[in-house]
Amino acid sequence: MAKLLNQCLDWIASWVGGSLPDDSLLGYVLAALIYVALLLGLVATSALIFIWLERKVSGRIQDRLGPTRVGGKFGWLQTLADGMKLLTKEDLVPGDADKMLFRLAPYISFCASLAAFIALPFAGRDFPFVAQHLNIAVFFVLAVMGLEVFGVILAGYASASKWSLFGAMREAAQVVSYEVPMGLCVVVPVMLAGSMDLVFLGDKQQGWFTNWYLFHDPFTFLVFWVYFTCGVASVNRAPFDLAEAESELVAGFHTEYSGLRWSFFFMAEYGSMLAVSILAAILFLGGWNGPIPIAGLLGLTWENGPVLGYLGNFLGMINVIAKGFLLVTVMIWVRWTLPRLRIDQVMTTCLKYCTPLAAVMFVGAALWHTTLPDRVFLGLLQAPEVNRRLTERLPDHSLDVQAIEQGTIAQGDAL
Amino acid sequence: MNWSSLLFLLCSGFAGVFAIAVVLSNNIVRMAFYLVLSLAATAGLFFLAGADFVGAMQLMIYVGGTLVLLVFGVMLTAQSQFVSMRTSSGELLTALMLGGALLFVLVFTAMNVPMWQPTNQPSVSEDTPVLTATPIGMALEGYRVDQLEQPNPSLRRGMSGYLFPFVIVSVHLLVVLVGAAYLARARRHHTESA
Amino acid sequence: MSSAATNVIELDVRTDEMLVNMGPQHPSTHGVLRLVLRTDGEVVSEVMPHIGYLHRCAEKIGENLTPRQYIPYTDRMDYLAGMNMNVGWALTVEKLMGLEVPEKGRHLRVIISELGRIASHLVGMGAYGLDLGSFSPFLYAFREREKILDLFEEVCGARLTYSYLTVGGATADFPPGWIDKCLAFLDQFVPVIDEYHTLLTTNSIFIRRTAGIGVMPGEMAIDYGCSGPVLRGSGVNWDLRRDGEPIYTSMYEGYDWEVVCQTNGQYPSVYTAPNVPTEAVLGDCWHRFYVRMLEVVQAISLVRQGIEKYRTAEGDFGQPVKLTQKLPVGETYLETECPRGQMGFGIVSDGSAIPWRARARSSSFANLSVVPDLCQGCLIADVPAIVGSLDLVMGEIDR
Repeated sequence: MAKLLNQCLDWIASWVGGSLPDDSLLGYVLAALIYVALLLGLVATSALIFIWLERKVSGRIQDRLGPTRVGGKFGWLQTLADGMKLLTKEDLVPGDADKMLFRLAPYISFCASLAAFIALPFAGRDFPFVAQHLNIAVFFVLAVMGLEVFGVILAGYASASKWSLFGAMREAAQVVSYEVPMGLCVVVPVMLAGSMDLVFLGDKQQGWFTNWYLFHDPFTFLVFWVYFTCGVASVNRAPFDLAEAESELVAGFHTEYSGLRWSFFFMAEYGSMLAVSILAAILFLGGWNGPIPIAGLLGLTWENGPVLGYLGNFLGMINVIAKGFLLVTVMIWVRWTLPRLRIDQVMTTCLKYCTPLAAVMFVGAALWHTTLPDRVFLGLLQAPEVNRRLTERLPDHSLDVQAIEQGTIAQGDAL
Repeated sequence: MNWSSLLFLLCSGFAGVFAIAVVLSNNIVRMAFYLVLSLAATAGLFFLAGADFVGAMQLMIYVGGTLVLLVFGVMLTAQSQFVSMRTSSGELLTALMLGGALLFVLVFTAMNVPMWQPTNQPSVSEDTPVLTATPIGMALEGYRVDQLEQPNPSLRRGMSGYLFPFVIVSVHLLVVLVGAAYLARARRHHTESA
Repeated sequence: MSSAATNVIELDVRTDEMLVNMGPQHPSTHGVLRLVLRTDGEVVSEVMPHIGYLHRCAEKIGENLTPRQYIPYTDRMDYLAGMNMNVGWALTVEKLMGLEVPEKGRHLRVIISELGRIASHLVGMGAYGLDLGSFSPFLYAFREREKILDLFEEVCGARLTYSYLTVGGATADFPPGWIDKCLAFLDQFVPVIDEYHTLLTTNSIFIRRTAGIGVMPGEMAIDYGCSGPVLRGSGVNWDLRRDGEPIYTSMYEGYDWEVVCQTNGQYPSVYTAPNVPTEAVLGDCWHRFYVRMLEVVQAISLVRQGIEKYRTAEGDFGQPVKLTQKLPVGETYLETECPRGQMGFGIVSDGSAIPWRARARSSSFANLSVVPDLCQGCLIADVPAIVGSLDLVMGEIDR
């Protein structure tokens, strides 16, 4: 992208007799700004939609109508009106608060939540829709999303309120509980694909829904639910919303927040919900490869030229976002149905049940994968040829991983 | 100016400034906060160097894990006299001397290793990902992807096969962690059922 | 005596004790209850309730008004079950005056006060869901409560503070067609209870949050003077509708019902409900909640019987006494079974139309007094669970 921009700029500059090198700072800065604008747009608009969805879904669940007035039908402008109200609210900082940390904490949460999107792809193949194509994207996303907790803990400490401090302590206790099983769950699809590259992971599942890792074997099917449980815990949603447990801790870590800063915490929460959901969609639900490969059936593939391929990718992006929204809706549904767990029960659920379960599922999936390689959909179907041919390359060493696996390259003294 | 040098200066500047802020700050939670920023900037340096695996590792382990634990521990255990810390001038002087000596050694070494001289070449120049995790994983299993051009087969293997020592070290660390948790536990408190 | 803690809490890290104010402005304290918690991390070592934020001198006002004028003030004591409070006061005055309500008025009172019991328990159930972080049951409960309030509104014009049942009977008879509406409501309400059971009673998270939490043995409940579902949740078979004074029990004469209470490990089988989970201990939050849910079923059956009897009863529903009716000299005290427990009213009369002394005995006050004992050594999250299971109404405690 940056190179492309530089070439465009170079072309424009050539009119006035100038020139621009391929690795000029300008192109990189421009590319970064475009990516940030796109991702910020996605996160902000989806947060707007999610808050509206939350109200509407909870309303319907509870036999209410939800918002109906603002913006005409369905109250679709309700969130915007709320945002406006929040903007005009007084920005309060408690007298005893650590003012710098208090002011910074919401932004730390939001930045972490947004940063996760840097490595999340929205479409794959020849021209992946991703801000930064990392080969360890899964790892990066998990690492960055873990930082959101830091804003919450700082907010809880800096508020100089005992309820906030309780919220922060619970958050810290919760984070050490869910991160272990969540990491274990994520490892399963990574192992099946043989890569931590999310673009590669998504492409490995191309074709019909039978190729999704969710249906790869019974173990992955269970792992998905364990992952989803931990994902709900990681974004502080009910039944794991201990850090803000309304009936216990008033509002937990954001008790003392008001106005725009408060809304940043919510943007962060909804942003992480989307990030966790999209990650789940790519890892288990085939990412941009729909239940029905519409793009493939319509011939919108890269084999038929870049324009059609690009259009296919566009459809894929819609697919990813739709799956993300679907999972977020499930989270909303869960929130308005279940009571809240207690902190020790959260830790028990995550460490005593989810972790061993995920570990056993990991071993099970590994055994399944070695005994039934190249088979998908509970081992019933043969994996499509195109998916099997797909292997990771090591461009900087011009080395084929498959070649190593086939033994054409000498192996060292493995112990 | 090259974009990567600009980002390098930015990241290293952040890392350095916040590292100093850790030392100069009196409040222990603020110290932790500055430490996070410093470590995050270091992670940025790793990403800039194309070592995204190490960078993500830095984020996950240091910035994420360790600091959450640190802040958690600080908030739970800190008595009021520790939350705000004052350093005496003697301590400051000793620390300054020790730290200065270490800094001197590090800077001296860094400047004198020819491989580490600035090249003015950006490490990451392409949008396609550089495979960083795969060679590490393969090296653990005994494939050295960076030694493949070596004519000598024994050299080609390099110092491969780190898996066993790696596992030993990780198990060792786990044992240490469990032991530390056991020792840190103040007392066991059983509430008998009435 | 110490509460029987079933969960063993290990104190791994010593931390400083912290005093936290829970209330009077707190989302889960049901009004203006203030609890001061002494906490060690998440573990609560001491709970001190502070009351009086809703004190309105209700008893003193009773010494300046005639008994019929005082009826609206009884509504405002337990504002969630105003009808039952009206009955309590009316019966006390009737007992002093030696008045007897006609047959039809008796059944009218049973219908209304049992509907009031359903409405009150619905709030208790829904608000308990809120305390545990489950929002939707609250609205499901209020949806049904609204229908009962609609019925009440038709009867007396008010939705919260009714002043309907009064000394001598009631202010008016049921309007035409009301009984059919009431029966229609009951018919559609019965299946809804199963939804409540699915969402809360049998929900595994709900069971984990409530079973074995705040266990109060029967003797302890008696020692503290607990009453109502709180007492019956501890396995004490005691209900004033059966064990009360004749003037009150005669109201329920001829009705077929059983006290909701676990005896010999069994709840009365006439009221269908899901089975008791194995984790639940008699006297814990889950049982208190369960007793309330069963009492809703019981109240439905009582209302149905009441309607049948009301239809066949002859005569008048009971005209209210004169507003300035003189009271006989004497002293009287009567307790009735309100949704929250035994609500008692006492009157000392010097022969004038206005009582010389009027006093009230609040069930919630006695039920609140167990909080410090039950919350000893529980987690912070258990405090709302325990306080919520007692279903307190501050208007009644502070009066």
